[in-house]
Amino acid sequence: MRDALRHAAGPVGALALALIVSSFVMLAFHTNPIAAFGALLHGAFGSKQGSAETLVQTTALLFAGLGVAVAFRAGLFNIGAEGQLVAGGLSTAIAGAALHAPAIIEIPLCLLAGAIGGAIWGGIAGVLRARFGASEVITTIMLNYVAFLGSSYLVSGPLRGDLSAPETAPIAATAVMAPIIANTRLTAALPLAILLALYLWWWLGRTVAGYELRAVGKSERAARYAGVDPRVVIVRAMLMSGALAGLAGATEVLGLLHRFNAELSPGYGFTSIAVALLGATNPIGVIFSALFFGALQNGALAMQSLAGVPKDLISVVEGLVILFVAARKLPVGLMLARRPARIEGDS
Amino acid sequence: MSTPWLIALAVAKVLPKKATPLIFAALGGVISENGGIVNIALEGIMAGGAFAAVVTSYRTHDVVLAIFVAVLTGMALAAVLAYFALAQSADQIVVGMAINILTLGMTAYLVSTVFGQPGASPEVPGLRNEAVLTWVALALVVVVHVILYRTRIGIHLRAVGEEPRAAATAGINVVAYRYAATIAGGALAALGGAYLSVGETHIYSDGMVAGRGFIALAAVIFGKWTPFGAAGACAFFALFSSLQIVLQGGAVPAQFLEMLPYLLTIVAIAGFIGRARPPASDGVPYER
Repeated sequence: MRDALRHAAGPVGALALALIVSSFVMLAFHTNPIAAFGALLHGAFGSKQGSAETLVQTTALLFAGLGVAVAFRAGLFNIGAEGQLVAGGLSTAIAGAALHAPAIIEIPLCLLAGAIGGAIWGGIAGVLRARFGASEVITTIMLNYVAFLGSSYLVSGPLRGDLSAPETAPIAATAVMAPIIANTRLTAALPLAILLALYLWWWLGRTVAGYELRAVGKSERAARYAGVDPRVVIVRAMLMSGALAGLAGATEVLGLLHRFNAELSPGYGFTSIAVALLGATNPIGVIFSALFFGALQNGALAMQSLAGVPKDLISVVEGLVILFVAARKLPVGLMLARRPARIEGDS
Repeated sequence: MSTPWLIALAVAKVLPKKATPLIFAALGGVISENGGIVNIALEGIMAGGAFAAVVTSYRTHDVVLAIFVAVLTGMALAAVLAYFALAQSADQIVVGMAINILTLGMTAYLVSTVFGQPGASPEVPGLRNEAVLTWVALALVVVVHVILYRTRIGIHLRAVGEEPRAAATAGINVVAYRYAATIAGGALAALGGAYLSVGETHIYSDGMVAGRGFIALAAVIFGKWTPFGAAGACAFFALFSSLQIVLQGGAVPAQFLEMLPYLLTIVAIAGFIGRARPPASDGVPYER
């Protein structure tokens, strides 16, 4: 227990600092930060619908945040969660429209399609890094745009299912993940994401593969001397990372949109970087930070309408959190494991 | 005139407009990365510069002052990157992403609060002839090249980016060079942003930078971290976006032309077209 508190101290400190700085921003523009955050809290947790919607946002952030966190543990910075999310969402939408099986088979297959779509998108960056030493930071940024533009082409051309809007055909009725609480949009995706987080926590800490992944994240060279092939581990980590982000897209499609279109993600993949870092790249920590950012995103709308504070302020909070978590010499800094800059001494 | 000529003429008109902001930002990236600091925040700094220019022009109707304030804003944002990278030994990529998210949020927040309407500013006084900035950008390519390869400062800077420890032993102040290079880079990226706002469109709208900072980053890599290479890559990438505008509804879907810079960069960094090798200590924190 004391250990958990000690681990939480850094992130909570970074968070507090970010909220204080953004309060000063609001004060500078004559808005009352207490009223703003009050409205935000009310929007995020003030009603059954509000709370459920917070959890809906949490779900996508949790999947994608776990993806970024796993990559980080392997010393990789996956900026491509957004693109992997799109690849996953699109794959799920294609599978969901094409397959017509009973729900018990159809839904898992569609989820699998999303995970595979995301894994392929992440895996490309993994292979390029492992095989050619290409920085995954650059390749994932570039792959994001390839995913955005490629999917935009597909839904306005070959995969267009609706003449009135650029989107795919709707998924089969048996592919729809129904709400688990009446009159909300919350689906079984949330418990699934939490189970995955727990599994990942166990996997990272208690399995050989998880140990290898963390070893490569600490030092590729040391891992190699211990008989681990960093290239295999890097590809595996990027496949997992992409699959998790892909599941975020998949569950959005199956539970909320029931098709693929440009509204798939309001930037979950980018916010998930903040989620992973605030969660100290620990899957259990990521659950809490996903909830925090889910509440922030959902409450932002209430903050805008009730307190008149533009919802974009939460991006400021987000950026500040990342900044303070990354600082290594502030007491709030998490001393994140430093990522190896690039492959140390090829082959 | 035949169609190919008309297309070429149309492209020649659009290309400088597309290339100029990229060149400014890419030169900024070249300077800072030659000093060893990866600036992934070019996108955010461009947005910050574009916004600062519009607000200043809105308040003062003075376009020159507006560009000056944009440059100062870019320097300030780059200084944040440099401080966290150098004084806090933070991961440069993480800090760069933080600045991107922060700046995009902050500008959107400020658009709403300053102009009283979300999304975009009203039209403000801007440059009457933005081609001036294109010539400035081209001149700067030469200037940066000369500084990097023909002056003591440039040689020191590249030493700092390649082998900071050796540079320090030779009496070069590594930290000071890295601060200066990053902040100078921020000034240039912000100029690129100002070109987009008070230069080309005379407004600021959310998302107007639209990935150009990342294209500039790609151009730095594609141009192998040299000013001429990066500027050439910018012109090359601008050619695709010009073609896309000129050939609207043509045989090639617009998305493919837009996608090419990103795809080519992936190919380049994987080493398929020569080796794209960054300065040896690019992105590596320096600790005495």
